[in-house]
Amino acid sequence: MSGRLLQLAWRNLWRNRRRTLITMTAIAFGYAMLLFVACLMAGLRWQMIENGTSLVMSQIQVHAPGYYPDHSIQKTLGGRKGTDVQAMLAVVASDRRVYAATPRVYGYGLLSAAPRSAGVELMGVVPTQHPKVTILNSEITQGKYLTAGVPKDVVLGDKLASTIGMRLGSEVVLLTPAADGSMGNDVYTLVGIFHTGLDTVDRSLVLMTLPALQDLLHLAPARIHEIGIKLNDITAATTVAATLGSQLSKTVPVRAMAWPELAPELAGYVQFNRGITFVLFSIFFLMAVIGVMNTMLMAVFERTRELGMLMALGMRPAQVIMLIMAEAAGLAVASLLVGAALGVPILWYLQVHGLNLGGAAGGVISLAGVVVGHLWYGRQDFLAYSEAAIGLAITALVSALYPAWRAAHFRPTEAIRKV
Amino acid sequence: MTIIAWNYRTAAFLLGFALLGGGHVARAADAVKTQPVRMTVDRVAHLFSSKSSIATVKMQIVNEDGQRDIAMKIWSLGDKTIVRIISPQDEAGVAILKVGSDIRYYLPKSNRTVKIPASMAMTSWMGSDFTIDDLVKETFLVRDYSITTSFEGQRGGIAVYEYTLTPKPEAAVVWGKIVLQIRQADAVPTWQGFYDEDGKLVRQLTFSDFKTMGGRLIPTRLVMQPADKAGEHTTIDYQDVVFDVPISEETFSLPNQK
Amino acid sequence: MTALALGLGLALLLVSLGLLDGGHEQTIADGVRFGPGHVVIQAKGYQDTNSDELLLPARIVSTITDFLQTPNMKRLVRGVSPRLLATGLLSSSANSSGVRIMGVIPLHERAVSLIPQRMIAGTYLTNDNNLTGVVLGDDLARKLEVKIGSKVVLMTQALVPPNTAGKDGSGDEMESTLLRVNGIFRTGLQAVDANIIQVQLPAAQTLLGIADGQVTLVALLLDREGDSPLVARALRKQLAADPVEVLTWRQSIPMLAQILELDHAFNYIMNGVILAMVGLGILNTILMRVLERRYEFGVCKAVGLRPGQLAIMIIGESLALTSISLLLGLALGLSIEHYFASSGLDLRLLFRAGLPPALVFDPILYSRLSLNRIIWSVGIVFMMATVISFYPAFKAARTELPDALKVL
Repeated sequence: MSGRLLQLAWRNLWRNRRRTLITMTAIAFGYAMLLFVACLMAGLRWQMIENGTSLVMSQIQVHAPGYYPDHSIQKTLGGRKGTDVQAMLAVVASDRRVYAATPRVYGYGLLSAAPRSAGVELMGVVPTQHPKVTILNSEITQGKYLTAGVPKDVVLGDKLASTIGMRLGSEVVLLTPAADGSMGNDVYTLVGIFHTGLDTVDRSLVLMTLPALQDLLHLAPARIHEIGIKLNDITAATTVAATLGSQLSKTVPVRAMAWPELAPELAGYVQFNRGITFVLFSIFFLMAVIGVMNTMLMAVFERTRELGMLMALGMRPAQVIMLIMAEAAGLAVASLLVGAALGVPILWYLQVHGLNLGGAAGGVISLAGVVVGHLWYGRQDFLAYSEAAIGLAITALVSALYPAWRAAHFRPTEAIRKV
Repeated sequence: MTIIAWNYRTAAFLLGFALLGGGHVARAADAVKTQPVRMTVDRVAHLFSSKSSIATVKMQIVNEDGQRDIAMKIWSLGDKTIVRIISPQDEAGVAILKVGSDIRYYLPKSNRTVKIPASMAMTSWMGSDFTIDDLVKETFLVRDYSITTSFEGQRGGIAVYEYTLTPKPEAAVVWGKIVLQIRQADAVPTWQGFYDEDGKLVRQLTFSDFKTMGGRLIPTRLVMQPADKAGEHTTIDYQDVVFDVPISEETFSLPNQK
Repeated sequence: MTALALGLGLALLLVSLGLLDGGHEQTIADGVRFGPGHVVIQAKGYQDTNSDELLLPARIVSTITDFLQTPNMKRLVRGVSPRLLATGLLSSSANSSGVRIMGVIPLHERAVSLIPQRMIAGTYLTNDNNLTGVVLGDDLARKLEVKIGSKVVLMTQALVPPNTAGKDGSGDEMESTLLRVNGIFRTGLQAVDANIIQVQLPAAQTLLGIADGQVTLVALLLDREGDSPLVARALRKQLAADPVEVLTWRQSIPMLAQILELDHAFNYIMNGVILAMVGLGILNTILMRVLERRYEFGVCKAVGLRPGQLAIMIIGESLALTSISLLLGLALGLSIEHYFASSGLDLRLLFRAGLPPALVFDPILYSRLSLNRIIWSVGIVFMMATVISFYPAFKAARTELPDALKVL
């Protein structure tokens, strides 16, 4: 394609300024909207994953092989002997993609606050480190969070508290099958009540300090069930899990699981979300095909005489096709640039200020097991932006094929005579 | 939702309840016209039943987590049963009181009594070697099964009868069949096998160390083994048991009951 | 070209709206079908306490079913299912597990619950005399190591209804019953697949010692979610003298209501974006078409047509073209939409490997387009097309002759 052809194409576009501008505006606006949608959807996905994993689960969990999904108390990291917990944490933290890591112990048992009792899930955490990985501590509505060094405090959900009839300061007895087969039991004080909005969590999760739970379960300090990890980039979860898994396995056999494995419902929703974005893109491309084809057809027929003359003067059909295609390409590129320019302030606004749906959706809601607020922040999804741009460019080229083909088939003698 | 899986040890306690659960003496058997075989089986089923009893028992649980030995004393009167653990040290003083289907635990370490809710009580015995049949209900072997004699003769130098018990169509039992082997001479059981509907052996109970205690000839050692977990079993040894003795109602109480 | 843009645009709009609305309705339907239906009638206080001992007397159940047979109600209601709920222990030869028992009438339950449609082995319960059938989730089946036809024993405590002179808190002895596994289902919801079992209602009643036909609740499935408040109100009036509570799904499953709010807001935005995109396409083509005809208009005026007449001609043409395009678009849109309404759009085809294997929601999306939406869509597109052709029409009508003819 010669430079002169490109120049010609560009100039042709601007000969009918109004038409070109109209089409360009339409495509530019359309592209800006795609950017808006992609940004919003990316933000929604991020928020859902963030909320879903930050509450209790964390983005990556490292267990002993075989621990999941039965959660057998005996299957601690490193087997019965346990492991050097600090060393493992250090290995994990040395990966730059990791934001924070924390050890956890799990159990299940009976909680009794006379005269009622209920089956509960016990989670032993390190109060100083756990808030870096999950936000559970910020969901406390009454009382306070756990304090390191105060082993007899427990924190639990509001639904559990109301079902059993407990208040802050209530005495709580925990009964659980311990690791050695005996009946672990002890008395604790309720110091904090949380509300997450997730029914299962509010109804059955009991938080206590890690050493206290190890004590209750008759587990040695070196024995923990899990390391919970929070990442800097949520989307890298699966790759980081794989890396950490192989790294840690050099000393202790582990299984590192990323959140898509731990919460398939959430992963399913994320995929669904992507799919919707794809559908919207497709609708836009479809409309764009019509718009561009229409424009190019008019451009071609309007210049019948001129094109005929060019061909009579020796321009080959192939060159005519390339000319038309180049015009379409130029149109597309120009539109994309304008659209991108339009989009930047929108994207910036979405990321910084977010979209407030306060009117449409009241309060905090739970979707696919995740709590989502009514303020939606956008997130930059450059991949989607590029995909949209490329898709648009291809659409423009494809739309121009028919007009180009028609132009190439003008019979020069007839064309010249056309008024 | 989490379901509690109590361990073998808890389940075994409750095995004690059932074996000694009194009250329902063989009145059902009396009412029904019985053949000698049915009467024999019925007697076996109620070997440990009485209006009241006091037993000293040692239990050993062997599973993948290791071995655990527990000594306890069990009192039983009507539908009330109380188990007090004597050893090991960290469990001594734990008591379990069962009145009907109400179950409460006393925990000396916390000095509290905890009520196990009915639903939890029902779920608390799964994951163990024992099913509910063993633990809560009376085993109405005669009522629920039709019995045939499947073998009569010598096994291991002892003359035995072997009965195959097939559940009646309406009976609420999970087994495909139960095979019971007793000694011809004194009608004490030596072996009981529990099979699923496909004829596969799921678990077996072996009786041995026959002694006369409390006026009855009983097997003082019972060993329950699951068929699919090699090396795992629970052994119960009766060190002493007396039947139909007066027991005061106060025995069946726990401290700090709210 | 213009006609194509208009028609296609309208068709796209109709199809998207239909699918989005359908998806929304379906989310509601799925949500309520896993739970107590669009409207639920239960004993007063049940919502707060969830106490299994709070039951509905049989006569109230008859009142409800009779009332729902009246013509006004009958056309709104798709299914009525009385249910008895309790907790128990299910044992097999291999294992036991705590379960939530649902005593149902299979034929009625089929019309309300999604469980009958999620069978992966065996069959759902049938309304025959076999009272010993049970269906359970695949997680539970795996745990108990049972298959179709296996024996299981269900044990539970007989319920002591609050108004009978009860014994002390210890409750009655346990009741057991033999059941055989009729079918195994998979909903994808772990809470359901690992915990819920369904048995015949009479069997459950016998097991729980209920002699007079009491149930825990009556769940209703309606044809249109939007009728929920209406039906609830009517029932409340009918049962005003009874100690019951009639709740719409928003009240009985507040969590679902919140999810729907989110979905609604989401759809709102999507509708807006699609409309804007379609609008852009239409505007583009129309604008250009009209603008390009300046030469033609110039000729008309040169030949003697007055500006007013020209304007009318342009507008008239535009209206005619728009109307035809819209009709075509309507035809195209509605036929595609009808296809999706009856056969549904299989999302799996769209997303290929993207979706996880065990989907909770139905991967087939059915379109649900209301007359309201159709009118609204046609109206908006028509207005857009017409308004946008006015401006250039008037401009063209006022163009000076020489200018117009200069186009060439």
